[in-house]
Amino acid sequence: MTFRGRNGTVARATMWSAGLMLAGTLSAQAQDVVIWGGFPELADFYERVAEGMSDEYPDLNVIVEPIGLRDHEKRVALGLSSGLDDATVLELIGSTANRYIVNDLLPPAPDDIADFVNDAGNFEPFFRDTATVDGTVYGVPLFRGQGALFYNTDMLAEAGLDGPPTTMEEYDDYAAKLTQRDADGNPTVSGWSLRLSGGGGGIAEKFWINMHQFGGALLEPVGDKYRAAYANEAGLAALRQYVNAVSGDKTVTIDMPADAAAFQRGQTAMFIRESWVIGDTEKKAPELNYDTALLPRGSIALPVNLYVSGGSDAAQDAAWAFAIEANKPEHLIWLLDNVGWLPNRAGVDYSGVIEAKPQFSAFVDLPEDYDLFTLPSIEPINEILTRFAAVLTEAFADPSLAGDDAAMMALLESAEEETNAILDRAGILAE
Amino acid sequence: MLKRKRFLFAVMAIIPTFAIFGWVRMYPIVETLRLSVFQWNLLSRDKTFVGLSNFIELFGDDQFLDALTNTAIIAFGAMAVTIPVSMALAGVIYHRTRSRFAGFYETAVFIPHVVSLVPAAMAWKWIFDAKLGPLNAVIVALGGEAQAWLFDPVLSVVCIILLVSWQTLGYAVLIYLVGFRNLPKSVYEAAKLDGANGIQSFFFMSVPLLKPITLYVSVVTLISGFNVYAQAYVLASDTQGAPGRLVRVLVLDMLENSFQNFRVGYAAAEAVILLSIVLVLTAVQFGMLRQKGGK
Repeated sequence: MTFRGRNGTVARATMWSAGLMLAGTLSAQAQDVVIWGGFPELADFYERVAEGMSDEYPDLNVIVEPIGLRDHEKRVALGLSSGLDDATVLELIGSTANRYIVNDLLPPAPDDIADFVNDAGNFEPFFRDTATVDGTVYGVPLFRGQGALFYNTDMLAEAGLDGPPTTMEEYDDYAAKLTQRDADGNPTVSGWSLRLSGGGGGIAEKFWINMHQFGGALLEPVGDKYRAAYANEAGLAALRQYVNAVSGDKTVTIDMPADAAAFQRGQTAMFIRESWVIGDTEKKAPELNYDTALLPRGSIALPVNLYVSGGSDAAQDAAWAFAIEANKPEHLIWLLDNVGWLPNRAGVDYSGVIEAKPQFSAFVDLPEDYDLFTLPSIEPINEILTRFAAVLTEAFADPSLAGDDAAMMALLESAEEETNAILDRAGILAE
Repeated sequence: MLKRKRFLFAVMAIIPTFAIFGWVRMYPIVETLRLSVFQWNLLSRDKTFVGLSNFIELFGDDQFLDALTNTAIIAFGAMAVTIPVSMALAGVIYHRTRSRFAGFYETAVFIPHVVSLVPAAMAWKWIFDAKLGPLNAVIVALGGEAQAWLFDPVLSVVCIILLVSWQTLGYAVLIYLVGFRNLPKSVYEAAKLDGANGIQSFFFMSVPLLKPITLYVSVVTLISGFNVYAQAYVLASDTQGAPGRLVRVLVLDMLENSFQNFRVGYAAAEAVILLSIVLVLTAVQFGMLRQKGGK
């Protein structure tokens, strides 16, 4: 068909208009589902999950928007309190999601999704419970952060150490033997990298993991209330270990490169982290010889669930379908193999990945008495961790505390008072 | 009748502007003032009136007092660095106005002001890095001792002062250049006839004559210093490899209290205190300018 002259121009314009209207109608029919995550390394995983849905949802447009965890938490707080236009899948730690649920800002999961979560064959009670409030399912469990010791096998062999440390006393001995120093005695490679600086509550969370090995906890539940529980022997032992490492044995310094990046560059011999380091190291330092080990007593386990908010009913259905699709075995195996976070779904055969990457065994082959703990689902948990972290940062950098148990205990008692004041203000302080 | 119509037209014309100004600029301030006397967790519909208790709690809160002290040191420190350096740079650039590189000098000084803050702070983070940074490399090469710039309680604040100054310098230089160009040439010619050299002219004539500009620059620098946030945030970030010591500043503390601790009323009280500080500083500046004008 051809168009000529003035009439042709009008007809052409009409055709274009009709075409544009048709395109507009089609795009209006397409469903947008936005994925808000706090772990940027999961972007490829979510893209893969979206591709897996394309046959069943040909018009589904999945927009993956992961950012750093601290910014993600702020974004979720603002987004949920002011309302979301698009159906949004929110990646949240169970303890964080609780505050939105009790304020009616996250809807319960539809019945079929709740049945999936409640199926004992899919999730163990620990993971099901983190997605459930007062018996109602609000989220779909996906993965968890769980700690283990990472150690450089070459460095241990050079130091004549046979196998990883198994007690906290051995951690100190190993750190001393593994630390490499320059001619002036200053450490150039830390024996054991500790979280000593930075912002946020991560410092307190890592301290809690170490304190857990001494049999302590930052917060102690009493009925449905809590109280601070770190101004005691376990808290002192953990703080003493940090202070001694920095100012006593000097196996690590505040300004040394730290964490996964330092481990991958050979700037530290040991550190405690979650399983994502395995996937990250495969990409960034594939030649690194390392292994993992269980912690002496147990580890933190932070389950991350997928929640849905915003959008039309149809779009919300698609968003819940996304959460279920993410839990399909093929995606979870890919997640473990390529990203390294530990999937929570039971009944999936991960053995191929674990055989190929034996470092995962310290995260999945857990003895029965291995003691896992998680952050309590209480409103002021972030404030408690952040404020205690600020106290710890100052303490770690204070050389006058080295060898002074009384001063360290006084510091812990003062911090404990502050923590209890926060709990009291929230109305959940146990007597 | 015509006058009345003109008046109505003027009012109608100006109403949209006032409405937008009121909605965008005044409403958030009023709402912040209101929230500062409530306890609210951002998520709940319930807001509990608590009177001045947020303010009372703030002045017993070590973190807030730490943030207030750090912010004041950074703001006044940045002003103390920016004013003399920008005035000297503007003087040199003005002196070189006829140079074919004059445009380059101005642009080079102004660029940091328009560079996005986060990548700039990341670059400075590398410069200050204790182990890998070029600053320590230069210090060691000159026989000095490497410093833990981002971890020492004093040096980490100095780093932020340098970063804030580096960013505000370009704008201050531009303002001073305008000031230099408006100085009366006859006064300098007279001084030259009396035997004053360039340095004497600068210190005894330019500096006093530029006092209104200095007042303006000082307040602008001070206000931007009190709003410091991204610099402190970025220099302490990167928890995966090389974090730094978190220098707590007011805006950072407010964000943390609002969106992580969910204490919006408490954060609003902090905002009211910051607003009060900025208002007082502005009033002082206006007062000094008026005093100058009166004379």
